[in-house]
Amino acid sequence: MTNDELITKLKAIIAPYVQDEKAFENLTEDTDFINDLKVNSANLVDIILDIEDEFSIRLENEDMEKMLDVKAAMLIINTKLEA
Amino acid sequence: MVGNDIVDLEEANRTSNWERPRYLEKLFTSKELQFIRDCENPFLMVWRLWSMKEAAYKLYTQQNPSRFYNPKGFECDISNLNGIVKFKDFECNVKTQITSRYIISEARFIDSEMTSKIIELKGKLRKSHSDILKEALLIQLSKLHQLSKENFKFQKSEFGIPTVLCNSVKTNVSISHHGCFGAYAI
Repeated sequence: MTNDELITKLKAIIAPYVQDEKAFENLTEDTDFINDLKVNSANLVDIILDIEDEFSIRLENEDMEKMLDVKAAMLIINTKLEA
Repeated sequence: MVGNDIVDLEEANRTSNWERPRYLEKLFTSKELQFIRDCENPFLMVWRLWSMKEAAYKLYTQQNPSRFYNPKGFECDISNLNGIVKFKDFECNVKTQITSRYIISEARFIDSEMTSKIIELKGKLRKSHSDILKEALLIQLSKLHQLSKENFKFQKSEFGIPTVLCNSVKTNVSISHHGCFGAYAI
């Protein structure tokens, strides 16, 4: 999967929880879920569960710990898919 | 130092589904899952524990500037409306208030009364919520110190940790908003 394909899939997952549509339109790898997209911290776990379902992977507590921005999410997904 | 967190129950009910498969296991330890199973109102217990964890995390990051997402790592123990939250070798007291519309938790190292002030943000533009809270916080600080509000400057560190600066003295503060409620504590 290319980075563009991964970002497209991630955007679809994140969309329901976004509270700043403008930041979402301009999403890059550096976009922060909470600071930029204003995702509620209680919904971050929904994003994590949606990622697990979409990519058929399981994320451990250590993976969740870093899951604060698009870049970190991509790295974790790629690492799990290669494992 | 203080960390606080408010949960708007209507907003929580609307935007989160705690009964979703694997949801609770991602956020709560086996001991906390037992609290949720054993209580009369699991919905309230879920959000009570959540607000305790968030308040404790905010206190922890005041003391240890950092940013991470590890709600499960902060384990709650509760009796009545008092609680203790532990994370690694960190431990704090957490007071909680539960009303029909919101739950507020406040974490401190010492056992003290809840001081958080609650503000209803209903009808206000979502974009302005944090500005309304900051303004109210600065007004309270200016009254407390009997100095004009212009002496106080709200700031956030690179990790998003809030403080108020006045005459080069930093005061730790905590603010929280969710749905149509906001809260601040000094």
